[in-house]
Amino acid sequence: MDFLRPTTLDEALALKAERPGAVPIAGGTDVMVELNFDHRRPEALLDLTGVAELAEWSTSDGQVRLGAGVPYTRVITELGDVLPGLAMASRTVGSPQIRNRGTVGGNLGAASPAGDTHPVLLATGARVEVASVRGGRTIAAEAFYTGVKRNALEPDELITAVHLPPASGAEQFAKVGTRNAMVIAVCSFAVVLRPGYAGVALGSAAPVPRRAAEAERFLVAELPWQTPVPLADSLKRAFAELVAGAADPIDDVRGSAAYRRHALGVLARRALTWAWDDYRNNGGERQCA
Amino acid sequence: MTRTVDGEHLVGQPIDRIDGPAKTTGGARFSAEHAYPGLTHAALVPATVSRGRITAIDTAAAAAVPGVITVLTHGNAPKLNPPKRPTPANLSTLVSGTQVNYLNTDEVHWDGQPVAVVVAETSHAAREAAALVHVSYERLPAVVDFAAEEPNAVAQKGNPVMPGSAKKGDADAALAVAPVTVDARYTTPQHHHNALEPHATTAVWQGDELTVHDSTQSITWLRKHLALRFGVPEAKVRVLAPFVGGGFGGKGFAWPGTIIAVLAARATGRPVRLLLTREDVHRAVGARTPSAQRVALGADTGGRLTALVHTSVTRTSRVGGQPEQVTAPAQHLYDATNIRTAQSQTTLDWMPNTSMRAPGDAIGSFALESAIDELAGELGIDPVELRMRNEPERNPIDGKRFSHRMLREAYALGARRFGWENRSPEPRSTRDGRWLVGMGVATAYHPAMQFTANVTVRLAADGTVTVRCGFQEMGMGNATVQAQIAADALGVPFEAVRVEYGDSALPASVMAGGSMQTSTVAGSVLAACGKLTRRLSTLARRTGMQGRTPTEILTAARVPFIDAAVGSDTRLGALAGQARMLAKVVRDQRTWAKAACGAHFCEVRVDADTGEVRVSRWTAAFDVGRVINRKTAFSQLRGGIVMGIGMALFEEALVDRRTGRIMNPSLSGYHVPVHADVPPIDIACLDEPDPTMPLGILGVGEVGITGVAAAIANAIHHATGSRIRDLPITPDKLVT
Repeated sequence: MDFLRPTTLDEALALKAERPGAVPIAGGTDVMVELNFDHRRPEALLDLTGVAELAEWSTSDGQVRLGAGVPYTRVITELGDVLPGLAMASRTVGSPQIRNRGTVGGNLGAASPAGDTHPVLLATGARVEVASVRGGRTIAAEAFYTGVKRNALEPDELITAVHLPPASGAEQFAKVGTRNAMVIAVCSFAVVLRPGYAGVALGSAAPVPRRAAEAERFLVAELPWQTPVPLADSLKRAFAELVAGAADPIDDVRGSAAYRRHALGVLARRALTWAWDDYRNNGGERQCA
Repeated sequence: MTRTVDGEHLVGQPIDRIDGPAKTTGGARFSAEHAYPGLTHAALVPATVSRGRITAIDTAAAAAVPGVITVLTHGNAPKLNPPKRPTPANLSTLVSGTQVNYLNTDEVHWDGQPVAVVVAETSHAAREAAALVHVSYERLPAVVDFAAEEPNAVAQKGNPVMPGSAKKGDADAALAVAPVTVDARYTTPQHHHNALEPHATTAVWQGDELTVHDSTQSITWLRKHLALRFGVPEAKVRVLAPFVGGGFGGKGFAWPGTIIAVLAARATGRPVRLLLTREDVHRAVGARTPSAQRVALGADTGGRLTALVHTSVTRTSRVGGQPEQVTAPAQHLYDATNIRTAQSQTTLDWMPNTSMRAPGDAIGSFALESAIDELAGELGIDPVELRMRNEPERNPIDGKRFSHRMLREAYALGARRFGWENRSPEPRSTRDGRWLVGMGVATAYHPAMQFTANVTVRLAADGTVTVRCGFQEMGMGNATVQAQIAADALGVPFEAVRVEYGDSALPASVMAGGSMQTSTVAGSVLAACGKLTRRLSTLARRTGMQGRTPTEILTAARVPFIDAAVGSDTRLGALAGQARMLAKVVRDQRTWAKAACGAHFCEVRVDADTGEVRVSRWTAAFDVGRVINRKTAFSQLRGGIVMGIGMALFEEALVDRRTGRIMNPSLSGYHVPVHADVPPIDIACLDEPDPTMPLGILGVGEVGITGVAAAIANAIHHATGSRIRDLPITPDKLVT
């Protein structure tokens, strides 16, 4: 196995074009597990930690551009106010050591149905920026996940960044694990509310992380956007049912399909309540730093 | 470093462990960290069928991997003597984890049995090549499903130390007429020890002399076993294990990795290091048996137990395994008028089970202590009060005297520290936001034993003391506490004592197991120190130095040092020692009921909607006899509770019932508690010595885990109203 260590993005893209079988590695918190368990034996690893431009974030045109190599710890400490939903999900990843190493770009590259940041990326309407020697493009998050641990990247492409809108309403993320830390999600859930917009997505409950489109339409139509009152229980229940209905879970070592569906409904009800309370208390608009 | 204060005893003080600096600075070398010139690395190839015969092994691809030295299979491995049949009459025979003669047979007895080993210049080459070994099998019908085999279980044979069943009165008749009853089934899954350090061996042959660094809890027995298997005199075998990174019973016996590493070293003529992968640890080391248990209780309306029935089914293997004393707590804990306990076993094509922290008692106490809580609910009596109403004066099953028992005092102390009186009796009556809050209680109980150990102690004219004893240190702090004991006994400062341990070249000791090492070694250290003190007074009288320090006396007598020995390592001495030990153990068992005990109090918070459980508070009050070192003893008790939290909420080997393969042989699939799962744990000890044990020590290694899972299950019931009788208590069981 070769270990390729580019120091610039151009060099990384050239290597990836030359060796499409090379597996990109950033924090290594997914790739190394797969190697250790002998689940895959790539011909080469493409180490992206030496590419400085991937480890930066910036704001322009009302969007946050989060470099693929920014670790979760920095998402939490530097972007907690701007991207509260992503920061919440980042806080639930592994342990401090894993959060120091792991990256959102890596989460996307692995495309595990249980990846913690996926529901937030879907619910916020994030776009994934990818590049190759042929040029760059962006892919909407919901088009990015194509199957269990599969994504929409071409063999010569690398993930370079994620574009997310800064929070302008309320964002919430919730997850159930089999213990209190260091877990792969049994199921996870994100909801994003902006004036006239609702983003709803779930993780670890279908072959791919997915949006719950019907639940989104329901919120847009039924939330009392004009009158900031607490939500009726009937509305929360109906919403929870739509979310649970959007799932397509399996029985596995972490939980049964029935439990996942049940728990997703609970998370949906809860996260919506928190998000709505947040939203109405902030007057529907949120000023960002 | 703690210094001796004049007139103050070292015993009881929370002295820092002697090996702490070596471990925290990385200076401590564990079994896989010994470098030898020409060191090679080995990797195991596991069988992929549960029962069968190997028809062919293709090693060509593996042998072609650069750096591979050899691939050993039953076709080309050196011949080994088979293990002896285990018998309690010769305790060292118990050390053989299985009856399989590894790489000397084409038979496969469990999924995961090593059938080949690759030896290579690097560990990476060895592991890569191991994955390329292709084994063909003739499959034979295998019995692997414990649940399906449960009806075919047969009665477990007993022995003097561990009765298979016991009876007082007619418990079934009493149960039938009891006004209040509980009769329930409880199950526990297979658990794995998962010590931080995976099992590791470094083996070096020089001619017919063998040196083995092995992560063992059992230096003396392992040495004897290796001598037998490899056909060399015991004197030619040296086993070293000064540092072992946790054992919990999983390193008590000789598992395939150790034998195969020594075999590979013999075959290649080079030093071999074999560090098990975490998957190997799950598939090639015995685990705790699963269990199915019934507890039936009958009581009068005042809560006096009239009937107690506790039966268990566990699993052993066709190629070995340990019976477990699952129902032992039912013989000791409650003053029931009628008692019946019975243990039975299934025999499967499975890795033999082995001892794991409080074997039997840990899982048996889950069922019994859950059932008592259920009975308290039926009766409307506080569960602590119910226990106190049934606290016996003598050992319930046979009327033997307790050497010492302060369970009442432990309950009183624990209840006060925990604030038990604030508990509302009604289940599901306390809510804090989305969390349902509950409090639970359960009894901890573990029998105490003392074996014998050989020890030498040297007192030198420069004032230093050297204690030599081949005991094991797996993180418990044994060297530290024996130094405290010797320093007190000889009146020297703690720093003056050096303890040598973890080496079979030292006087032979017992294995670290059964919570008996500290008391056993302490007994011999005290005896040796007594001899030295007497010699010293003789010398003092002769030189007119009475009342002076040891240094002054020895200097005046012109004696550079004096030695005292307890026990003998000669062949005759060892036999005599073993006979003496067995006689003492049996005599002790006949005379006394001896045990460490305690009371666990815990608070849990259960998410009413998702069923997630958080243990939020813990107090445990123990009667463990005298505490030698408050820091190391409390750490062990706390560690037992953490392990019990894992047993209650997370730990479960998931088994494919068709193939007999473990599906989660890794720490990402087999969950143990992480820091965020463990609340602050308040430990209190009564610190009252047991009059029949050296220094009054009852042992702290295992009692901590007993009762923990029941305390949590009881607290969860109090929080939610749901009674979960099948471990682990995962969220899905609480919402469906």
